[in-house]
Amino acid sequence: MSEGVPLGRIAADTAADIREHPRIGLLAIFAAFFWLGVTSFGGNTAAWLYHRIVQRRHWVKDAEFLSDVALGRIMPGSGGVNLTVQVGQRLRGGAGAVAAVTGLLSGPLVIVVVLAMAYTRIGWSSAVHAVLDGIAAAAIGLTFATGLKLLPGGSARLGPLAVTVATVLCVGVLRWPMLPVVLCLAPISIGLALVQRRNA
Amino acid sequence: MPDDFRTLLGLGLVFVPLSLLSIGGGASLLADMEHQSVGVHGWTTPREFADLFAISRAAPGPGTMLAALIGWKAAGWAGAVTATVALYLPSSLVVYGAARLWGRWRGSVWHTAVERGLAPVAAGLLLSGGIAVLRVSPGGPAVWAAAIIATVVLLRWPRLHPLALFAAGGALFGVAAMW
Repeated sequence: MSEGVPLGRIAADTAADIREHPRIGLLAIFAAFFWLGVTSFGGNTAAWLYHRIVQRRHWVKDAEFLSDVALGRIMPGSGGVNLTVQVGQRLRGGAGAVAAVTGLLSGPLVIVVVLAMAYTRIGWSSAVHAVLDGIAAAAIGLTFATGLKLLPGGSARLGPLAVTVATVLCVGVLRWPMLPVVLCLAPISIGLALVQRRNA
Repeated sequence: MPDDFRTLLGLGLVFVPLSLLSIGGGASLLADMEHQSVGVHGWTTPREFADLFAISRAAPGPGTMLAALIGWKAAGWAGAVTATVALYLPSSLVVYGAARLWGRWRGSVWHTAVERGLAPVAAGLLLSGGIAVLRVSPGGPAVWAAAIIATVVLLRWPRLHPLALFAAGGALFGVAAMW
């Protein structure tokens, strides 16, 4: 058994962690995140990022993505932008982070202002609201599908799965503030990962 | 133009602190933005603020693009860019610094344990985010049902492009509304 027990599909492979990411051009990073920005309806940047950057391009791994999601949420700022900063940093350091964030934000910035201009001129019909509801529903589906796909799996999954369920219960269902919940559950989950590793 | 400059400076002075204090994002940030732009600075009327909020939710990108709209209302395109940079740059610098520091310990036992320990929490946060958006959605049961169908479709056919699903969802609801 090499380093670490596979946590479902999230095989924490230390040797692979150390290997450099394939060198990806700054323009390619900007373009990928620009496309991400203009298509991520419903504020679900993380789900889109998983679909486009992790699943399609394989630029980062599942475990790296999830770790960046969690850290991005407990630090100040927007979770989606924080995630983008971290992924950009993994890909090409500081320049990568700048390319990713400017790519992510420039499209929506223009679109949102143009929408506001159009709104002040002509207003919105109820049909527009309905279309937006439909898009929002699909976007929520994408978020759920991403979360379910990334559920802990494999042989030693009961503990991690309990952590996920507890997180959903506290934050999603009971609507407790996210920060204290994460600060309680994360140490438990990390301790679990350490114990499982030692028993392996 | 000193007046324009003063407005831009005001935007920066409002959004830079918000950037650094907005841990967990969401509701508290929104309340603060409303207080500052309606009550303190008068950049928008309450009605305009509600409209801008609706517009920001309709546009793609991070939910907090509302800041760009407040800046636009206050000082045009320069205001939009200023507010966006002021809201995202400080927090991004903090996160970037933390990410670099964090990467330095890559390969150590506890680095691996932390990354693996955070994974189930992150999966829970993603699912909770979906539930939170559902809860504030004005569309009601139809949106709930459509969201569940979309989830099943995406899990069953993972190679399906989500944009196709977005288009289908928008078209379906649009047509239904016209009848």
